[in-house]
Amino acid sequence: MVYSLGISFCEWNLIKGGNWKFVGLQNYAYFLFKDPYFRISLKVTLVFVSAVVSIELILGLGIALLMNRPLQRVGFYRTTLVIPSTMTPVVVGIIWRLLYNPELGTLNYFLQLFGLPPLNWLGEPSLALPSVIVADIWEWTPFMALILLAGLQSLPRDPFEAALVDGASGWQVFRHITLPLLQPTIIVVLLLRLMDAFKTFDLIFVLTKGGPGMSTEVLSYYAYRYGFKFFHIGQASSLSYILVVILVAIAQIFVKYIRTGEE
Amino acid sequence: MKTLKKRIVSLLLTLITALVFIFVLFPPFMLFLTSIKTNVDALRYPPVWLFKPVASNYREIFQLIPFGSYLINSLVVALLSTFISLLVGSLAAYGLARFKFKRSKDLSFWILSIRMTPPIAAAIPIFLIMRTLRLLDTKAALILAYCTFNVPFAVWLLRSFFQEIPREIEESAMVDGCSPFGAFFRIALPLIAPGLAATGIFTFIFSWNEFLFALILTGTRAQTVPVSLTGFIRETGIMWSHMAAAGVLAMFPMVIFTALVQRNLVKGLTMGAIK
Repeated sequence: MVYSLGISFCEWNLIKGGNWKFVGLQNYAYFLFKDPYFRISLKVTLVFVSAVVSIELILGLGIALLMNRPLQRVGFYRTTLVIPSTMTPVVVGIIWRLLYNPELGTLNYFLQLFGLPPLNWLGEPSLALPSVIVADIWEWTPFMALILLAGLQSLPRDPFEAALVDGASGWQVFRHITLPLLQPTIIVVLLLRLMDAFKTFDLIFVLTKGGPGMSTEVLSYYAYRYGFKFFHIGQASSLSYILVVILVAIAQIFVKYIRTGEE
Repeated sequence: MKTLKKRIVSLLLTLITALVFIFVLFPPFMLFLTSIKTNVDALRYPPVWLFKPVASNYREIFQLIPFGSYLINSLVVALLSTFISLLVGSLAAYGLARFKFKRSKDLSFWILSIRMTPPIAAAIPIFLIMRTLRLLDTKAALILAYCTFNVPFAVWLLRSFFQEIPREIEESAMVDGCSPFGAFFRIALPLIAPGLAATGIFTFIFSWNEFLFALILTGTRAQTVPVSLTGFIRETGIMWSHMAAAGVLAMFPMVIFTALVQRNLVKGLTMGAIK
């Protein structure tokens, strides 16, 4: 890691060979102030991350509440639910590419069944990012639901019984008892997902390769292209350090949070 | 009246649950369906639902490309990096859980934070180090690279398993004349065997699924399954049914492993933040 911090201050092109040239903060300055593509990529990343995390949280909470009933065969449900999240991410990408395919994809088939025009899901710049977001939601919502469910099941029963005796409505119970009690769990999943969403790479690589244009080019893919397609190792390092700074900030909150829980 | 309303609500809930599960299971089902179609059937539109299933795709991926050796690569890399992570991880975790030393708490949180760095940031230095060591396109490079995230994970998770067993058991063993290492190997380790298995399965899943490091560190010889999957996407078009067959083979072991660890799933996935 220290090694790459060093490189990030230098200009080093692997193809040209040659040695490092110290350029100070120039790489950082370039990305932060000059490079228009960095801005686009940052914007794409922020849209992607905020969309997936918020939708996944809401849906996950819904599913968790839905499953928080006495169910038989819990093990089976748990396993089924988590299949998308433990499955190889590349395979997730392949599956969705298959479903999204404009010529033979099942999604367009369903659209036409309802008399709607077929769409070019991944090829249309305005549609590509939402499509990737949907795939990510499919992959990670069950994970959210599972953890929130575990949180729900570990809650004490007394407050709920007391509320029931007092005649509280279902929504009141949820709003004033479930949500506050579940808050620690919610924060943990939120932070975990936030960190993972910033790292998303495999899905983008298989589904769109950042395209069309730059419509799905998240920061980790942008850094990958810089480092391993153009071999501007210096720039790529500084780019990934910008990402690290963002993640460390989130991780700090996370660590602080479970630390107070431990003590 | 009230019971009728209750029954409708309960029916509705069951219906929504079923819909959720269909949404979760439909995409992998489509993948499986494509994998047993011939290439002609796979490319037909609208999709055909009734067709003659074939197993030829599964056979052909072993003949057209060396998929067998990619499977072996993946297996060797995942197994070895799991083994190393468990060995190093359990020793370190035991130390952190049992012995108090200066800043031991900070150290364990530092270990946790390594797990959170984005792989792309670690990928560049690792790539350059492996290049200098002339280890590019070898399994050793991948095993080492995977240990960088599996060892911290194993340390962190195993630490929480060690903390759950009472210290008195080992202390009484040591009073009876057991060395600290003996107490570790004969008493503590067997006691956390289930935790060890769960941790191992998690590190195995991570290594098996990993894509970025495998993409940049390997060429043809040490290629792993996820990278080989993207090889089916070619300039001339995508070999759908073959890719689907390979995809099913890649995800199948993961489904089984998930079923095996499902009791410890939540703990593993949240790094022990939630039990």
